[in-house]
Amino acid sequence: MTSKSAGRGQKILVVDDEHMSDLMRSVLRRLETDGFRPIVVAPEGPHLTGEDYETQALFALETERPSAVLLDVRFGEYDSDRFKGLSILKKIVERDSSMPVLMFTQYTQGPYRDTAVNASLSVSVSVDFIDKLASPEEVVLRLRRLIGRAPETIKIGTLFEIDAANAAVYVIENERRDLIREIQGMKLEILSELASAMYRSEGELVPFSRLERFSDGEDSRASLRVRIRELKVSLGRAVSREFGANELIINVRNRGYRLVNPRD
Amino acid sequence: MNDQSLKILKLIGLAIAGTGLLLILLSPFIGESLTPGSLWWIEPVAYIGAGVFVLGSVVAVIGFQIIARRTKALTGDRTRTWSQVTQDYFDTFAHDMGRPLRRILGKQREARALLNETGEVTPHMVVELLNEIENQAPNFRLMIENVRVLVDLEDDTASPVIEPVDAAAIVRNVSDRYTPIARERGLELVWWCEPSEFGLIYGDGSALDHVITNLVDNAAKFAEGHVEIRMTRTESEFLVRVWDDGAGIAESYLAHVFDRGWTPELSARSEKQSSGLGLFIASSLTERCGGQLVVESQALNGSQSDAHSTTFTLSLPLDNRPLKR
Repeated sequence: MTSKSAGRGQKILVVDDEHMSDLMRSVLRRLETDGFRPIVVAPEGPHLTGEDYETQALFALETERPSAVLLDVRFGEYDSDRFKGLSILKKIVERDSSMPVLMFTQYTQGPYRDTAVNASLSVSVSVDFIDKLASPEEVVLRLRRLIGRAPETIKIGTLFEIDAANAAVYVIENERRDLIREIQGMKLEILSELASAMYRSEGELVPFSRLERFSDGEDSRASLRVRIRELKVSLGRAVSREFGANELIINVRNRGYRLVNPRD
Repeated sequence: MNDQSLKILKLIGLAIAGTGLLLILLSPFIGESLTPGSLWWIEPVAYIGAGVFVLGSVVAVIGFQIIARRTKALTGDRTRTWSQVTQDYFDTFAHDMGRPLRRILGKQREARALLNETGEVTPHMVVELLNEIENQAPNFRLMIENVRVLVDLEDDTASPVIEPVDAAAIVRNVSDRYTPIARERGLELVWWCEPSEFGLIYGDGSALDHVITNLVDNAAKFAEGHVEIRMTRTESEFLVRVWDDGAGIAESYLAHVFDRGWTPELSARSEKQSSGLGLFIASSLTERCGGQLVVESQALNGSQSDAHSTTFTLSLPLDNRPLKR
């Protein structure tokens, strides 16, 4: 899932006075490994204030046309700049109400969260908040969701790739994609459903209620089980492997199924 | 209208009412003096007096009401400012407390990245240390947040912020935050919602986030293999069910689970950090949002080994806007 294609070279404007800190550096690195292009706002001068960041951020918004903005709430230790990020947010939203903005906060609740919600949230604005301590993975995941476009293809580990638009599953070997002809129709639909849940969130399970349409007969769970087994066999055959009960597609305590990345 | 003119309004009202009363009382004499020897005028004068009395009373009552309301609003404002001040201090405090952690966490993430780049196998101990540092971050976040909510709960005048909320997104975010921790503890954490398109609810998003975080944090502490978060809805409510397959809670303790400071008596088991605040806060916040939090548990003793589990069920109104209530 950490393929370069995920970010597709989308520009992310990073507005944070602590962009040189280790914490932010790890976020920037993660953005790059996921294929995003972080553009860091870094005004120059001896005594930088939130004002300097605001000016440059708004300028970069015009010139760079980023896909999303990563914005800190707090700029510096001056009291006047404590909520500077909110005023920057407001100006960004005024200029482009469709711009996705992910804001770093100290914690998810609190006075500035409410202020931010009240100050900026008209109906169509996509603003989300994330704790500054959140892991880089979480930041990228949240950003990806905020930008919102589902990818045309979803990778399952490094082995498979699903192309939902063209209704095809490929096996990847040495940078080469080979079509798995066996997987079509309903089996492909099941796989796509499972793959898109995994893409949205690692822990998301597809409950039986959502998979029932892929089964038939009196015992719908049994027929689903058979389809899933066939699917696993087909996928396994393509890579000359046998996927066990706890691999690739797993039945979680009879609640539903979930796709997990296979080991290489 | 300023306070002075309100007071004058109140006095005028009282004066008019007094005049009316006087007219009623004096009506026999006034009537008598208007047409000596006849009783005809007494009644109309008394009626006029009654009318004037009612008018005066209304004016006076309105004056009183406005003054009372304004005083209430003023004292209300004062508590809000107080709460704002506390929150402000707390914000500064949390920021400063977080500084060392941000540095440690940043260094740890840099170290991890550098170790990955070398391509060599990192010693097990080092990996464990790095993971421990990383996994303490959500703990710290939750702790700070819990203290903040605790301060907020003391403030009676505070009310939930009602906004359109994507509840599924909140559950997803919490799940994403806890998935790495669960994985490291050897747990499988899954979530789903039925129906899959859950739509928006009207409620306090940050409170919801906080309640679910506490429930999942609790479940991840005690589960043995699985944690499940499931969202469903009825006509008027939505339900979040957090399930774990831990040893369960003995029936005698169930009533105390939401008490402040309660922690399970598990001294025999290895150290499990728990402040006894999380569930108390979760249930207090839920109550404030007009919802319910209930716990069910099948404890380990006496039953079959796979029959133990604990379920927390949070139910909240789908639409918590005050106008609709």
